[in-house]
Amino acid sequence: MRALRQALLILLAALIPAGLTAAFHPRRAAWTQDKLLPGEVELQTVLAWGSDVLWVDARSLKDYEAEHVPGAILLNLEDWEQLFPRFVDQWRPEQKVVVYCSSTSCELSHEVAERLKANGISPVYVLKGGWEAWKNRK
Amino acid sequence: MAKLGCVLVRVTVGALFVFAGATKAYDPGAFAVEIQRYQLVPWIVAALISVYLPWLEMLSGALLLLKRFERGALFLTTLLLVIFTLALASAMFRGLSIDCGCFGKAFTATGTTVPLLRNLLLLVFTGILWMEPR
Repeated sequence: MRALRQALLILLAALIPAGLTAAFHPRRAAWTQDKLLPGEVELQTVLAWGSDVLWVDARSLKDYEAEHVPGAILLNLEDWEQLFPRFVDQWRPEQKVVVYCSSTSCELSHEVAERLKANGISPVYVLKGGWEAWKNRK
Repeated sequence: MAKLGCVLVRVTVGALFVFAGATKAYDPGAFAVEIQRYQLVPWIVAALISVYLPWLEMLSGALLLLKRFERGALFLTTLLLVIFTLALASAMFRGLSIDCGCFGKAFTATGTTVPLLRNLLLLVFTGILWMEPR
């Protein structure tokens, strides 16, 4: 019982700095998810760029073969060594590269984008909402 | 000797919680993204957790180190470790390719296996602290 009582007090005490963080922390999360993460881009923006975009599908081969953005090339971390040379063949310097994976919550597109940047590819963007955003486009 | 062992265990668990909380409290926005990658809660809940959990971790870890409100702090560290372990196991089970997010951006590319094993070890440590003679 003593442990529970003390735990409750600690839980309540943590509310004070948490409230201050929620109110004043410069790096606090937005309460709605409209904000783009660093490196992310909205689908509407990519569509406005026109055709000079190289789409990169960071999902699995199976997902890619099932459906993908027209013209997208497959580049995932599992088969990076085989797929990256194919990407380089298609890529032109200064061409915008947009990476996507399955949805907002998937991490693969960010990982592939980071790896592309580490290999000197620029500019590289991540599609906010991923494949789901493409499928649900109006 | 046993007493020294308990002190070491207490310092390890307490310091890890303080450190983990501090790294997350530094950038709650990034931590909210890490939480969301587990695909367990909606964004608003992830955002609320991101401002509250780091302080709870720091407070629990500090109280454990200082031996103040000790049982309560131990209860919370154990409870949090169980929750973290279940979340990691669930991510592994669903095949999510994510980082643990346990220490904010201090350590990245950690995957889920090593953090899961570390949490299990920490749970053993908290078990030792529960059995420590008063």
